[in-house]
Amino acid sequence: MAPRTVPDRERPAAIAALGVVAPPPIEVQTPTFDGSLGMLFQCVRDRKVDLMDVPLAPICEAYFLYLMNSPSVGLDEAAAALAALAFLLERKAWGLLPVAEPEPEIEEPLELPAPSVGQYNLAIEALNVWQEERSKTFFRSFEGGPDPYEVPYKLSDVTPTDLARAFERLLRRASPDVLQNLAAPRRSLAEQMSLVLKSLARKWLSLDLLVPPEISRSEAVYWFLALLELMRLGQAKARMREDEVEFALAS
Amino acid sequence: MIVVDQLEALLFVSDEPVSIAALASALGLTEGQVEQGLEVLESRLEERGAIRLKKIAGGYQLCTKPEHAEAVANFLKPQRQRLGRSLMEVLAIVAYRQPITVAEIDTIRGVQSDYSVKALQDRRLIEEVGRRHAPGRPLLYGTTDQFLHQFNLVDLGELPPVPDGMSGVSG
Repeated sequence: MAPRTVPDRERPAAIAALGVVAPPPIEVQTPTFDGSLGMLFQCVRDRKVDLMDVPLAPICEAYFLYLMNSPSVGLDEAAAALAALAFLLERKAWGLLPVAEPEPEIEEPLELPAPSVGQYNLAIEALNVWQEERSKTFFRSFEGGPDPYEVPYKLSDVTPTDLARAFERLLRRASPDVLQNLAAPRRSLAEQMSLVLKSLARKWLSLDLLVPPEISRSEAVYWFLALLELMRLGQAKARMREDEVEFALAS
Repeated sequence: MIVVDQLEALLFVSDEPVSIAALASALGLTEGQVEQGLEVLESRLEERGAIRLKKIAGGYQLCTKPEHAEAVANFLKPQRQRLGRSLMEVLAIVAYRQPITVAEIDTIRGVQSDYSVKALQDRRLIEEVGRRHAPGRPLLYGTTDQFLHQFNLVDLGELPPVPDGMSGVSG
């Protein structure tokens, strides 16, 4: 839904509840409400419109389109629109919450078993025996998935601490991010992985050589995440050399 | 004999235990016919080859015979970790007392069990099965099919009885 400009004369005058600035002229069209965001806010506040019947997703979409398509958005106006949206979302969220069931009253103390783990010794022995028996048979699938406690790839002599130190060093040399439009599209880790894959070589490279010298902190995070994911997928490998982690293409 | 071969084929491609009902439905047979076929297949596999038919976790699945365990393990290099004493304690308590809350497990063991419960959940051996209708609505935990599979059990009824009236639960 594309936002449509509403003439100033149609903009609701009394938006004082939001502050001194009225929301920008964002026009929303839904099956149950057709008008400006400010008008919707007023109608909901005055209980003239049942918010339960108004889908909020198209309104949020209209707000984002307004942000992205208006190069000179006033911060006050954008904040006023956000406040109106937040009000609508909160009101609707409260309306959608299920009615809380009353907690049952305690009629009598809960009967909890006495501390008696020793009674399970026989069962624990049996479980140990069965586990031993089971370890001697192999099934098609249950052996396939990695145990969540296993490291699914070989890190050779590199420890998670080494990786954390390397990441810290990378972050130290990265520069702070320049503030961007909040509505800017998010970066894809898959794209970053293909970029990192192109930068990797058969030859071992330290992070200093692998990562471009001028990067921001968020770029540093993307680089490192992409490296970790490539290692997990077996496409990259790491080793320790003189207290520094080096990376290379996995053969 | 073609039914037995078909059963073997279905079980060969299956990556989880298959129930008799599912096999009967796939082959257009009655459950009785499938049971007979499975008996024949079981004895046939026991006589020769490296594969056996195993009744496990409420169904049937093919697995390697124990005498080949070393060779298969050398090939697959499974990184199996045996459960430690505390995890095994919590697992046994959940298996027998399910559905059970963490507070009840704590009372039975006399120590906190949050970590063990989380670790067993991560290993998919226990899972949340609901909430107790009591103040605070605490989460209830029970065992999973993965538990049955990992401990070679067909169902929970195979658990040995424990003293003091805490009988095994029915599957």
